[in-house]
This record gives sequence, structure tokens and C-alpha cells, in this order.
Amino acid sequence: MDRGGHGGVHQEGEALVEVGGSDARIRILCLGNDLLADDAFGPAVGKELRRSIPEDVEVITTQAAGFNLLEEILGATYLLVIDTILTGRNPPGKVLILRAEDVQVVPGNSPHSVGLFETLELGRRVCLPVPEETVILAVEAADCTTLGGSMDPRVRAAIPAVVRLAREIVHGWRKGTVRTAHA
Amino acid sequence: MSMEGKTRRITIDPISRLEGHGKIEIFLDESGNVERAYFQVPELRGFEKFMEGRPAEEMPQITSRICGVCPTAHHMASTKALDALYQVDPPPVAKKIRELFYSTFMVEDHALHFYFLGGPDFVVGPSAPPQERNVLGVIAKVGVEVGQKVIAMRRKLREILAAVGGKPVHPVLGLPGGVAKRITPEVQKQIQAVAAEAIGFAQFTLEIFHDVVLQNTDYVNLILSDVFTHRTYYMGLVDQDNRVNFYDGWIRVVSPDGKEWARFKAHQYLEVVAEHVEPWSYVKFCYLKPIGWKGFIDGADSGVYCVAPLARLNASEGMATPLAQEAYREFYATLGGKPVHHTLANHWARVVELLYAAERMRELADDPELTDPHVRTLPTATPREGVGAVEAPRGTLIHHYQTDERGIIQKANLIVATQNNAARIAMSVEKAAKGLITGHHIPEGILNMVEMAFRAYDPCHACATHSLPGNMPLFIRVRDPKGNTVATLRRDFDGSIHRDA
Repeated sequence: MDRGGHGGVHQEGEALVEVGGSDARIRILCLGNDLLADDAFGPAVGKELRRSIPEDVEVITTQAAGFNLLEEILGATYLLVIDTILTGRNPPGKVLILRAEDVQVVPGNSPHSVGLFETLELGRRVCLPVPEETVILAVEAADCTTLGGSMDPRVRAAIPAVVRLAREIVHGWRKGTVRTAHA
Repeated sequence: MSMEGKTRRITIDPISRLEGHGKIEIFLDESGNVERAYFQVPELRGFEKFMEGRPAEEMPQITSRICGVCPTAHHMASTKALDALYQVDPPPVAKKIRELFYSTFMVEDHALHFYFLGGPDFVVGPSAPPQERNVLGVIAKVGVEVGQKVIAMRRKLREILAAVGGKPVHPVLGLPGGVAKRITPEVQKQIQAVAAEAIGFAQFTLEIFHDVVLQNTDYVNLILSDVFTHRTYYMGLVDQDNRVNFYDGWIRVVSPDGKEWARFKAHQYLEVVAEHVEPWSYVKFCYLKPIGWKGFIDGADSGVYCVAPLARLNASEGMATPLAQEAYREFYATLGGKPVHHTLANHWARVVELLYAAERMRELADDPELTDPHVRTLPTATPREGVGAVEAPRGTLIHHYQTDERGIIQKANLIVATQNNAARIAMSVEKAAKGLITGHHIPEGILNMVEMAFRAYDPCHACATHSLPGNMPLFIRVRDPKGNTVATLRRDFDGSIHRDA
């Protein structure tokens, strides 16, 4: 796990439950495993974002999944998640913008994982500080199961667009934050 | 994954290549009944090739990064394989630190599975409406306070994992011949406190299991039902007295009637375990080599065996700690003696093991030798070949490396828990299909039955390492005896159901 230098003040394993101060916190969570072909997308975007994102935004890269993400989502006011997705309905490289609020929490989860959305909802139900707003930028992948495989060119080509979108979303949140602070 | 490096090209019908979907192929006989069902899930590929040419010393880090589900188990199996590779025996304190670290991980992982992954089937209930059969339903049933308790316990356990292993998720603890870091008296005190709390937590979990599951006749009947029952061999790691051990010992196999069939050290695994390839799956199905592959069938004449909590309890003669031993005794007294063949009893066995892991954690935390600074024996021998095994939460995990004299991997082989269970999981799916499908109709209920069957094993599938799909995508196809498709049912990641008849 690799935490960004910007505002990435937490040591790994430290629970992010106690949020200091009243300022809104923006966090970008880049999910994926750079050893697994297209799954390297999230970490690759994280690398780009660290170069170009304002310093008060946390950038966290992790290959943790499901419930193991709980610690990573707590304490942020706004959360942007970058990940790959396999819907089989879109061509590889297609970028989807999902809002946690729009995604129905569905039962019968994968045999092994509690999904991100369920983790968010779980945190909310047990009164933990989950983000007020969560947006997911997901790129349709072609292959996330070949070890040492390289990223599909169509998936790789989506990196600049996702970086741009991430900047725009963060920019919007920051403007909102400023307004809230002055209100 | 085969040590001989055999490659076999497997052709899969392009129509069924829905990436990321688990697939079930069902073949009907002439009278429209299920003759065979095949179950297949996306698997990681290219492992051996990826490891070849890399320094063996990187393996505890690399293999733990491959899997987002149980990295700690890979880290430990890999570290033990390096001990064997460099022919070095770690000092006693290093073994204790490793086992303590591993026990802490087992407490965390088993608790997570019981409450949040298996819980939807058992705590909420198998017949609850689909929209409640999820982790949120578990919280609704057991209460917000219990949810908070589980999350708080987990946080403390992760703090221990970070204090001892460097990182909670991908540890940097194990080195050939020992560990990277000693335990200070301050950290020891912290572990003692958390271990005591973990025992209380495990006892409380066992009470919940009693109250919610065992008091409910429907659940007990489901555990005992034929559809989730298979009479196979069982494998697990045991100590010198044949008691369950997660970190080290002998791999013991018992027959379907509960008698010891084999007891061996990890490096002998190739004499006992072989892998069978099916044309329809990437997964290699493990079986007992001396018996041979006889197909997906039960019984003493079939080489099919399984691992995971139920198998570990069956393969042992007891637990090494008092509270867990009492829970073990009750488990078999209630379920009609050893061995227990009911797949869903895995959930109960997992709670027995949770108690053991917590008690073992405290035993090791109280060990006066734990703070000994001599935590490593430096390896001096020339590396050649090494095998390491541990019990992952999901069952026996074996790492096997062959290197050149510089320690560069020439060949690697991994037997992961889910491979050990693959044949039995396929059998469970086929049994569910036979009970639910006649003719061309695929009832949606099969999705639940199939998922309950494999969730009990807590399998580690590539598709499961992804966080985004809310549902495990599943694709079911029914074919007539000529192989023509007569019906399909597909559930996508968003839970939507699509049919074709």
C-alpha cells in the first residue's frame, strides 16, 4: 500500500476514525494490483494524480478489496474511487462514472467479498464516519487475472481522461468546500 | 499448477467467455434430468511464469501482493518455503513471533468471514428475502452494537498485525531463517491485552452461533441436508499430538470414515497430491495421488478431498487449547461424531477455530521468551529447493520453489486452498443443480444454492478480489444431450437477471 505524500498523514494500519478539525477532507482511493494486467489501472492513475493534484487531497493506492477497504474510506468527507470493472457490456477502456448513492446495494455478494458499496453502507449503519459523497470512476477492463500481463492498450489509453475527470471532480468538491466554509 | 511445467491449452467456447463471470454448464440426459454440471470461476493465470527468473527472497512480498484476500497466508507459506530453500532453522522466538502473528491474522479473518461473509446465509438465514441476505441484514439481526464490536475488535487486531508485521495487509515480517523485527516488552503488553479481549470476543461469537443458528431447527436441518453433504477425504495441518495447527506440523489426511490415511511433511506433498485437468476449466483439481482421479464422486475409492475449517477439524484429534477443545467436543457431539460430512458445518468449525486462534494468541503473547532479540539465523547454505505449508483460513496452502545456486527461481508451484477444494465445490454445485433443475427451466433459486455451497468453503477466486462488482456475476447454461443450448440464465455484477430459453 502506498500513501500519497499530500496530506497522507496516516500510517498504514492506523484507524482513520478520528478526524481532526472541521475541514472537509477529500480522498482519492486508487484500487488495483499492478501485477494483474488491467488491474494496474488504478495504481497508474494514482501515480499521475500525485503529480497534479492539490496538496490537501489525499491520494491512496491500495490493492485491498471489499471489507478491507473500510479503514481506507473512513474519515474522508468526499471520496473518489478509481478502479477497473468487468461488466462485459462495454468495450475495454470505457469510463463509467458511478455514484454510491445510485448503486443499489445488492445481496448475494461475490463468494468472498463484501463490496465497496456494502462496506460504505455498513460503516454508515454502525455510525462510523463514512464519506458524505462517494464517486467511482471505473474503467471497463479486458483482463484482470493474468499475472504479469500488461495493460490492454485501450484501458491504458483511458488514463489521461480519468486523470482529467478526477481533477474536475476534486475541483468541484474543493469549490464546494470553500463555499461551505464561508457559509 | 503443475510442477512438471506441463502446459495444456484449454479451449473454451467463445460464447461462454463472459469475462469475470462464474459459469455453470449443465448437461441434460435424454429424459431432461441433469446428468452433469460443471462450475468454473475466473482464476489467476500465469503464476509460475511470473515467478520464474525472480529472486526467491522476493517471494514473501510478491506472493502476498498477488492475492488481495489472504496475503498473510501467502507471506507465511512463502517464508517457510524460504527456510527450507536455504536450509535454515529459525530460532525458537522467531517461530513464536510468526505463529503469534499468524494466529492474530486467523482471528481477524475468521471473524470477518463469520459475521460479514458467511453471516448472510446463517445469521440472516438461508430463506430470508434476497434484499436482506447481505452484511446489512446481519447488522439488522445482531444489532448495531455487535457490528461496532466486530469492527473495533478487527481494528485492534490490525494494529497488532501492523506492530508485529510492519503492515496490516501486506506484511514484511518473514525472512529466511527468522523474522525482520523483534517484539518489544511494550508491544508484548499490547498483544496480551488484545489477545485477552479476542478470547472474550470468540466466546461471544460462539454464543451468537448457538443462539441464532443452533436454536433454529431450519438452519440445523439445512446443515444436515443431503444437498450439502459429501463423504470425502479431509486434509489439515496438525501438531505432534494430531491437534489442529495453523502454522506448522504434519499434513494429515483422514478417510471418509475418519481414519488416518496419510501423515506427512510438506516437502512430501507431491507423493500425495496430484492435479487433474478438465477441458472446461482453468482450475486444476487436486486429488489424492495414491488413490487416483476417479471423477467428481464421493467415497473412499475416490481421490477427492477437501480442506478448510471443517476438514481441519476432521483431520485432527482435537484442539490444543482448553476452550476450543470444549467447543470441538460439542461440535462432534451435536453433529453425530467424526467425521462430519456436511459442508455448511464449516461455519461452525470456523467459530471453533476462531476460539483456538485467540487462545493460541494469548499463550504465545504470554511466553516469556517472546521479547528475545535473537530473531534470525542467517542462512549460509546454497539454495536449491524448498517447500513451505501453512493452513490459510481457507485451507492448506503449499508453496514450492526450485532455484539455481544464486536463489533465482527456476520453477515454482503453488497449491492454494481453493484448488484443494475445487473438486468438492464442483460436486456441491452439481448436486444443487440436480435438485433444482429439470428440463429447460432454470429457477433463480439455484443462484442462492450455488453461492451457499461455495461460500461455506470461503473460496478464493480471482473474481472475488475485485471490489466493484456488487454481485458475483454468474452464467448458467443448460444443454441437451447433443450439446445444443436450450436455456441460459445470467446474473450480472449489478444483480440484473437475463434469460434466454
